Amino acid sequence: MSEERGGGRGRGGKKDDKNKGEGRPRGGFFRRRRVCKFCADKIDYINYKDVRLLSPFIPERGKIQPRRISGTCAKHQRALQTAISRARQLALIPYVTD
Amino acid sequence: MSQNRQYELVYIVSPDASEQAVADLHTQVEQIVQRFHGTLDKTENWGRRKLAYEIGHAREGTYVVETITGSGELMKEIDRRLRVTDTIIRHLTVRIDEDIRVADRLRSQRKATQARRRTARGLPPEPQPSERRGDRDSDDSDDLGLEAEGQR
Repeated sequence: MSEERGGGRGRGGKKDDKNKGEGRPRGGFFRRRRVCKFCADKIDYINYKDVRLLSPFIPERGKIQPRRISGTCAKHQRALQTAISRARQLALIPYVTD
Repeated sequence: MSQNRQYELVYIVSPDASEQAVADLHTQVEQIVQRFHGTLDKTENWGRRKLAYEIGHAREGTYVVETITGSGELMKEIDRRLRVTDTIIRHLTVRIDEDIRVADRLRSQRKATQARRRTARGLPPEPQPSERRGDRDSDDSDDLGLEAEGQR
């Protein structure tokens, strides 16, 4: 198990190096995650009722944070998208905030 | 005929409704479930919560979560009934049995891989408490994440 994780980290690390130049400057900086949060924490089901789980992926404006910033993998980003849509419908998360 | 599936129903009751009205709505749902030979597995009342945005003129509402096993027709009927009820400002039905199955499979797969790798390295299949590192804590937790909603 640890070997696999090590590999994933290495790959993420390389990507991080490449982006180092443009990631930091102007305005609110995002702490770039190297690995997908859901893969790393082994969350199998992204629960739409769990606002605390979803809130890190919703910036101030209320939009869904893109994958290139949060580092979420494609599979989990899809699941996250569904979860956020459901949470929005239930007024747990705003659609827009000005 | 109709298959039994597990659904999760969330509805938001208007803030003007009394405690009694919320209880009445719950019994109404229960009756429909019984009429269609389903089972009501779990009910959870989150109580009053502030809404993220205004619905109608309501700024807050009472959230109720029900886990129901039953047929699609049952959920259709519940959906219809909730739609015409004025005190309910929003509701959502989600089918969850597939998601639970997927999550279970992923978890057991992960455990199997872990056990296989550990035996290949000549270790016992289950990690011992003594060799646990700080960041491996979540490794074999049986928490599905579905249970996480209880803590608010």
